[in-house]
Amino acid sequence: MKQKNKGGVQARQQAAGWAFLTPATLLIFLMSFYPMVQAFITSLKTGSSANLQWAEPLFNNYSRMFQDRMFKTAMGNTFLYLIIQVPIMLVLAILLAQLLNNKDLKFRGLFRTMIFLPCATALVSYAIIFKTLFATQGLINSWLVGIGIVKENINWLGQPGTAKAVIIIALLWRWTGYNMVFFLAGLQNIDYSVYEAANIDGASGWQTFWSITVPLLKPVIVMTGIMSINGTLQLFDESVNLTNGGPANTTITMSHYIYNNSLGQGVANFGYASALAFVVFILVAVLAWINMKVGDTRD
Amino acid sequence: MKKVFAIALVLCMLMGATAAVAEKLTVSAWDANFNIPALEAAAADYKANVDPDFELEINTVSGSSDVENDMTTAGSSGDYSNLSDIVLFQDHYIQRYVADYPDAWVSLEGADINWDDFGAEKLSYSTINGVHYGVPVDNGTAIFAYRVDLLQECGYTIEDVTGITWERFIEIGEDVYAKTGKYMLSMDGSGNDLPYMMLQAEGLSQFKDGEPFITQNEAMVKIISLLVEMQQKNILYLANDWTGYTDQTIMGDQVAGVMNGNWIIPTIEQVAENSGKWEITTMPTLTGAEGYAANGGSSLYITANCKNPDLAKKFLAYTFGGSTETYDNALRNGGVITCCISAGQSDVYQEGVDFFNGQAIYSKIVEMGSHVPIVEQNDYHYTCRQYIGAAIQEILMGSDVETALQNAEDQLRFAMGL
Repeated sequence: MKQKNKGGVQARQQAAGWAFLTPATLLIFLMSFYPMVQAFITSLKTGSSANLQWAEPLFNNYSRMFQDRMFKTAMGNTFLYLIIQVPIMLVLAILLAQLLNNKDLKFRGLFRTMIFLPCATALVSYAIIFKTLFATQGLINSWLVGIGIVKENINWLGQPGTAKAVIIIALLWRWTGYNMVFFLAGLQNIDYSVYEAANIDGASGWQTFWSITVPLLKPVIVMTGIMSINGTLQLFDESVNLTNGGPANTTITMSHYIYNNSLGQGVANFGYASALAFVVFILVAVLAWINMKVGDTRD
Repeated sequence: MKKVFAIALVLCMLMGATAAVAEKLTVSAWDANFNIPALEAAAADYKANVDPDFELEINTVSGSSDVENDMTTAGSSGDYSNLSDIVLFQDHYIQRYVADYPDAWVSLEGADINWDDFGAEKLSYSTINGVHYGVPVDNGTAIFAYRVDLLQECGYTIEDVTGITWERFIEIGEDVYAKTGKYMLSMDGSGNDLPYMMLQAEGLSQFKDGEPFITQNEAMVKIISLLVEMQQKNILYLANDWTGYTDQTIMGDQVAGVMNGNWIIPTIEQVAENSGKWEITTMPTLTGAEGYAANGGSSLYITANCKNPDLAKKFLAYTFGGSTETYDNALRNGGVITCCISAGQSDVYQEGVDFFNGQAIYSKIVEMGSHVPIVEQNDYHYTCRQYIGAAIQEILMGSDVETALQNAEDQLRFAMGL
């Protein structure tokens, strides 16, 4: 009797758990997994989107990619943004978080808000503002000429090197504050007594940072790392709105190229676009897996 | 109770919908300063002269790509129920869209339109396998507008730049830049409107027998070299993007010449203090003959969602099929120039335009439009344009002409699946 009752409570608890999980699970299946499977099926097809036929051979869209110079350019650009922007951004975010975590700092709330605020701006509008700032007749040029750093206006968005630099600067501005908030949350979970103990042992600020803060923040670093890699590999708005992939497609990203293949230029090549999207998906998965393995200290 | 109320509501809506269908058409179009006034003029014309109960609901979208994306999504899903009865569609895209989504369009067979009354080049876009699908709204004829006051300052007249070779154009352009600091020509660096128009003026296309015709096309190679030379000699200014082209170079008063489809005229007219200083003429060519080309433009098409295609055909045939009243008001209110030859002979078209030094530019444009050679079109027009634009920029960054054009051709062939 007693035994039975206990089982009943457990079963009821489990049922409640499942009840809570079911809506989210169903939604994820419906909104995420089902489209993924459909996208994979589409990636094996070719032809007009109203009348898709199986590709011949089946993986033609995938093998075709190896001859696609545009996709290679797009992939190169995306990885360039990733390799340069993500480390700079994460280091900056940790340093800023460390600074703003200082209990004696005045106006902490104000500074935190100011650094986080770029995150609240819409992607399109900030990209357009950056475009205006870095225009040939824009504010940045008039400042640089005004203080005498450059002699004449630079066509920032008209040259491949500087255009890429502008995209990276824009990304840093937009996302550093966002990552900083995660680090701040992580820092507040580190007990102040740990720092006190280090202080008594005579550790310098630098030593404290490297031996206490960074190891204890590792889970947060891994998480922000995965999110940033994921976000950068799917970079779209900046490429479209800031440079429109130009000049001469030298700043185009993978997602932008996928868009151009599906809706961008009136050429609805959904089969090939889905295949490209699947390659990005696999890249994100592999990089996230490596990141988790590197960041995982458990044996 | 609630249920009864809901059913009643649904019934009301259904009845409302069926009642409204009879004399009403919906149309999706872009550009509140250009195409919309033309549609309003047509609706008013039809209402006043044919059917007082007629109603045209105009859905203004932000750009041509909105309509293209609507058609792509509707065509892909096979669900046309959200489309307007009539859509405005870009000429260069329509062939591919009809090929990809044949069921999404209704042909104009049986419409009472005298097709011989339209510019043949314009109709070559909207005619697919001999069947007419679209009624032209505007006229894409290219103009070359010059600042005659600046030309005069340098000792030239509009006649001196009419019917000349591009080499001569470069000589004059160098002179004009040296004396006035203004560029003779500008364009956005990512498009290739210039090579397309220059090639059409030679009677050639970027495609031949359905394949890219770039590296083997001597005229094309020559034109690209000329454009690079012009850029290096400060005759051609390449802005970073389209807004840079319109706002910075034209409205920013940096140029002494503008060459594009005549829809660029409202942009030129934005600089009010230059009124009376412009005139238009034909394009230079490689041989020195007068060059005629067209660029851009769009037509109206009936979609598969149209419940009353006969009314739509009747409306289009009566108005844009040749009504002087529609076209006169479209010109007055929106600056839309027709490619309908008889409508272009009305009095409004003969009037001189103060901004263009009293020149009767509208009748001139209609006349120029009748000379535009028909060249081979391809579904990959915009893809080609993008790669040619990239090639020009590669050359300006130091690559040689042959390699850059070969690259463009290879990538275009790849995109076309050749």
